[in-house]
Amino acid sequence: MATTESIQNAYIDYVLTEGREPKSVYLFAKNNDMSEEEFYRFFGSFEAVEQSIWADFARKTITEIKTQEIWPQYSAREKALSFFYSFFELLKSSRSFAVYSIRKHPRGLSSPRVLDTFKNLFEGFADEILRDGLDSGELTDRKFFAKRYKDGLWMQFGFVLNFWINDNSAGFEKTDEAIEKGVNVTFDLFQRSPIDNLIDYGKFLVKNGNFKEKMGL
Amino acid sequence: MSEEKAREQNSIPTSKVERSAKFVKTGLKVGGNYIKHYSKKLFNPNLDKTELNEDNAADIYASLSELKGSALKVAQMLSMDKNILPKAYVDKFSQSQYNAPPLSGPLIVQTFRKYFGKSPEQIYDKFNLRSTNAASIGQVHQAELNGQKLAVKIQYPGVGDSISSDLKLVKPFAFRLLGMSEKELDVYMREVEERLLEETDYELEVRRSVEFSNACANLQNIVFPTYYPQLSSKRIITMSWIDGKHLKEFLQTNPSQELRNQIGQALWDFYNFQQHELRAVHADPHPGNFLITPEGDLGIIDFGCIKEMPEDFYDPFFSLTSTNLLDNKEETIKAFRKLEMILPGDNAQQIEFYYGIYHQMISLFAKPYMVSTFDFGETGFFNELYGFGEQLSRMPEFKQARGVKHFIYVNRTNFGLYNILHELKAQVKTDTYKPHVVLEH
Repeated sequence: MATTESIQNAYIDYVLTEGREPKSVYLFAKNNDMSEEEFYRFFGSFEAVEQSIWADFARKTITEIKTQEIWPQYSAREKALSFFYSFFELLKSSRSFAVYSIRKHPRGLSSPRVLDTFKNLFEGFADEILRDGLDSGELTDRKFFAKRYKDGLWMQFGFVLNFWINDNSAGFEKTDEAIEKGVNVTFDLFQRSPIDNLIDYGKFLVKNGNFKEKMGL
Repeated sequence: MSEEKAREQNSIPTSKVERSAKFVKTGLKVGGNYIKHYSKKLFNPNLDKTELNEDNAADIYASLSELKGSALKVAQMLSMDKNILPKAYVDKFSQSQYNAPPLSGPLIVQTFRKYFGKSPEQIYDKFNLRSTNAASIGQVHQAELNGQKLAVKIQYPGVGDSISSDLKLVKPFAFRLLGMSEKELDVYMREVEERLLEETDYELEVRRSVEFSNACANLQNIVFPTYYPQLSSKRIITMSWIDGKHLKEFLQTNPSQELRNQIGQALWDFYNFQQHELRAVHADPHPGNFLITPEGDLGIIDFGCIKEMPEDFYDPFFSLTSTNLLDNKEETIKAFRKLEMILPGDNAQQIEFYYGIYHQMISLFAKPYMVSTFDFGETGFFNELYGFGEQLSRMPEFKQARGVKHFIYVNRTNFGLYNILHELKAQVKTDTYKPHVVLEH
């Protein structure tokens, strides 16, 4: 009897052995002793299988970091860092598949479609920690921009993922460095900065624009 | 008296502050160069890094040459002028470069899981995720296990890589600065790189720390932390926590002459026992590597940099420092030749010249060894040293590489030691561990 997991595993095994996806769902199902119909009961296409594998990585990571004892004490920044580190640690055990799955997509500005479900989960998670950060005052609530913070994190994720795929340092230590520096920079931008003060000052000057008159000049 | 003391202390720390300010400035410039590079690259993807490297090296070089006059005077002298550059690298790259921002909590957790498969809370009873101190290439955390207070040192990722690439970066400028050939310079550069890379190997550090603390166990007034190899790895060192003050804080408490002598003596014994008995020495007498405990002991907390001294260096060099051999011109010249302070190609006039200068220099350096008690508080001796270094740095004859590579770290060690003893104003019995002397070569 097939399960989501058994199909995922059979699929991973196939693409890693053959270096490409199966010719058809029919052939894939036949090789795995199930009917085509049974396959469709779980997934609509091979792409859907890949999407579900990536989504599982995200779910596992989020569950795992949230059970860590230290989790409630972390700031939003640390929660994001924790996600990144744990995610790439987990991904290490499926690196071949991850590299295969991402590389087969032409590199472009949009993220690969296999990451669609993953992206939803990631953004849900990002929303949650960013909201906490905004509530606690760790992050600055800026009109219009605050809603886009999660896009910033997603871009950072895309960058680190590509970095990791091309990383050949021992233990992927360079990726750790990329995470540490990258996520910190992203969060620095979310925090109150000289620009905010500058804008604030500008507003003040505009509101009090008639100060020349006031000073009798 | 207190006024005099204040003035006295001003002289050295000021230069230190200036020195680090200089390095910060360079750091900013180098950072700026990267931004410049990447913003250019945004518009021209084919841009390579040559320009970036040149910008960086130019700024690093600029700060090094600005430093040349002031902070490095002492090192300059015994480093035969040529070796100052590597010395500057040592300082620059082992300290300032890694004024890195503190590691984030999650990265620390990640490092532990990578090497032990467990989080710090699972390993220790208590672990403070906020670091207490920065070490040269990492940071220190407080922890506790079975009631024992621990210090856990964690290395920044990627340190090893950046050492090699930074050294490569500055190399071409070193040739230009010194007019040295690549081959000549390479010997010194490799020596520096080797030591720096060893410092990034925490497993090696733990092995050596255990070895050295056992070998030095009988020395008076010296304490070492206990190391926990099973709780250490390539990037993590666990040792017992030593309570104490750093040199600067210690001096601020106005310690008695007796106590300063005791600490000075411990330092002297520690270094000279290693040099003359173990023939390998803790080559990083940076004040941050020592703690003075409430009991008046000297705690030694970092064995990252060890310099081993081969016989063909030790014998000729230390024989010069401690006997009447220096009065025997023929034997002295033989020793200078062995140490490559006088080169085979030198003519009679040059031999005479270098003999004179080096003779003067070694006699100066060896002064503490020539008597049984030496007062390092005496400023006259240090003024003489600085003055001589200054004089040497202006001599065109020293625009060529001289001296074997071992000088770099041996000089750094002994000058670091002299400097700390000077700051302590300690009177030290210098005949406790005497150099072993070979009278004829």
